[in-house]
Amino acid sequence: MEHSAHMLWSNGIQMETVLDVKDLTKRYRRRRAEPVVAVDRVSFSVHKNEVVGLLGPNGAGKTTTIKCIAGLIKPTSGEIWLDGVEAQRQPKKAMERVAALLEGNRNIYWRLTPRENLEFFAGLQGHPVRKVRGYIDELIELFDLKDKEKTSARMLSRGMQQKLALACALIRQTEVLLLDEPTLGLDVETSYELRNVLKQMAARGERTILLSSHDMHVVQDTCERVIIINNGRVVVDDRVTNLMKLFQVSAYRFELEGHLVEELEMKLRERFPLLALSSTDHRTYIDADLVDGAELYEVLDILKAGNTQVKSIGHKEPNLEEIFLAIVKGQLK
Amino acid sequence: MRYLAVFMAQLKMRFIYLRRYYFDTISMIVTMFIIFLLIFYGAMALMGGTMAETGETLEGIVVGFMVWSFALIAYGTLSWGMIEEAQQGTLEQLYMSPLGFGWVNIFRVAAHFIVNVFMVLIVLFLMMATTGKWLNLDVLSLIPLVLLTVAGAYGLGFFMGGLALVFKRVQSALQILQFVIVIFIAAPFGWSSFMKFLPLSLGTRLIGQVMIGEQSLLQLPPGDVLFLIGNSAFYFGVGFLAFKFFENVARDRGLLGHY
Repeated sequence: MEHSAHMLWSNGIQMETVLDVKDLTKRYRRRRAEPVVAVDRVSFSVHKNEVVGLLGPNGAGKTTTIKCIAGLIKPTSGEIWLDGVEAQRQPKKAMERVAALLEGNRNIYWRLTPRENLEFFAGLQGHPVRKVRGYIDELIELFDLKDKEKTSARMLSRGMQQKLALACALIRQTEVLLLDEPTLGLDVETSYELRNVLKQMAARGERTILLSSHDMHVVQDTCERVIIINNGRVVVDDRVTNLMKLFQVSAYRFELEGHLVEELEMKLRERFPLLALSSTDHRTYIDADLVDGAELYEVLDILKAGNTQVKSIGHKEPNLEEIFLAIVKGQLK
Repeated sequence: MRYLAVFMAQLKMRFIYLRRYYFDTISMIVTMFIIFLLIFYGAMALMGGTMAETGETLEGIVVGFMVWSFALIAYGTLSWGMIEEAQQGTLEQLYMSPLGFGWVNIFRVAAHFIVNVFMVLIVLFLMMATTGKWLNLDVLSLIPLVLLTVAGAYGLGFFMGGLALVFKRVQSALQILQFVIVIFIAAPFGWSSFMKFLPLSLGTRLIGQVMIGEQSLLQLPPGDVLFLIGNSAFYFGVGFLAFKFFENVARDRGLLGHY
């Protein structure tokens, strides 16, 4: 049941799809209760060497989706194609194409050293150790594990253990890499360090990565595209730059001297019902989503008519976290 | 080649553990030997005779204890091993091998078997030195017989390992079954023809015929050897199929790796 991975054309560039999820559904049956739908007809594709973020609130179905792709959970229906192989029909061939770093798991053997772990997982994938020695050295270098090469993994810091777990997923040398919350539980510094490694990997363009994370910095830093899942369904599948643009053009913040008179506030609210007002002792702030320049001038005209002194006007800094929250709460379509 | 790589990875890990955690290794050998001494001298006291009078029974204890050691290791590798992997968060990684979880576990038990042969041999020599009963170690006859005999224990291990994947807390059942294995090995063979249908029972008797009766594999009754092959294939096969069934249930319920 093998077929050649299909091609897509994007911006004139031919892109090969290596992960294709079609109508994936997972329902958990329960005794004397309605089944729980964890994933509901989820469909998406990931192209060769693309790094895609999988976002969603807790319980949205991210981990279930990732575990279905990794063959660890049996889908109720739908298809998962990994580089031309359907995972349900040919699970062993599918496993040749996918590796995963799973959330909440150690993923490594604590009683083995980093090098021994890497050798074990290479072997588990069917790679003879002598053939991967060079790559093991490379990974130890890349993940800065040289000094700890002969230390049992349990003696490593949490961050180093997580880097080792990522290296162990890489040593399997699969086309697709699934990373479920790779920075969860790490302190700011180690999370930043791991993010840099992920960025390097993404820049090298050697792997196709599907990354789920609550840490928007990780996603914003490493992913070209994000898929947002909510209540088991895909609600957004777009490039990060497009999402940022969407937010950037619409959000403005006006900083005003003193307090706004009631009449002016009413006028503004009448014209722009969704704007938000906040104030400190000497300042008033207006946050408004404006469609175009004309609306910006309209706000300024209203303020000018009331003799209000405008201290500054700024675009609100867009960040993925706000976009994500807006989408999940249904404010952004 | 890929199969060899998976097997070598498991074997290397076992040897690393054996060497790095040598205190654990030595403790295991000492514990096994102490248990043997308790059983051995307990049996002698119960029988109230001298070693010369109770000789054949005591030799039987040595053989039975050796088979029990192999059987416990075989059974524990899969059942307790599955719980350990789930607890330490590596079970799902093992599951993701392109060879399939079944083969990964078969190689895992093979690696355990090879490593543990050394430990059981050390205990066996200690036992023979203590009792002064130097048994016939016809390696060519014993290796296939031991493998065939413990295959039944591997079947039980697969079955219980599968249960552990789904039900998680199965430690009590595992402990009870460890003692049931003693009954399979130690219950007098002659009291019922039913005994040879149980796992380990017929195999232990045939190993006894080689080690105590000084017969070779070829001198054993062919019917018994064939029955042992069938018996072991049955228990191993049923255990393995049950394991595949439970593995499927665990995947369906999203329980793999949970603990």
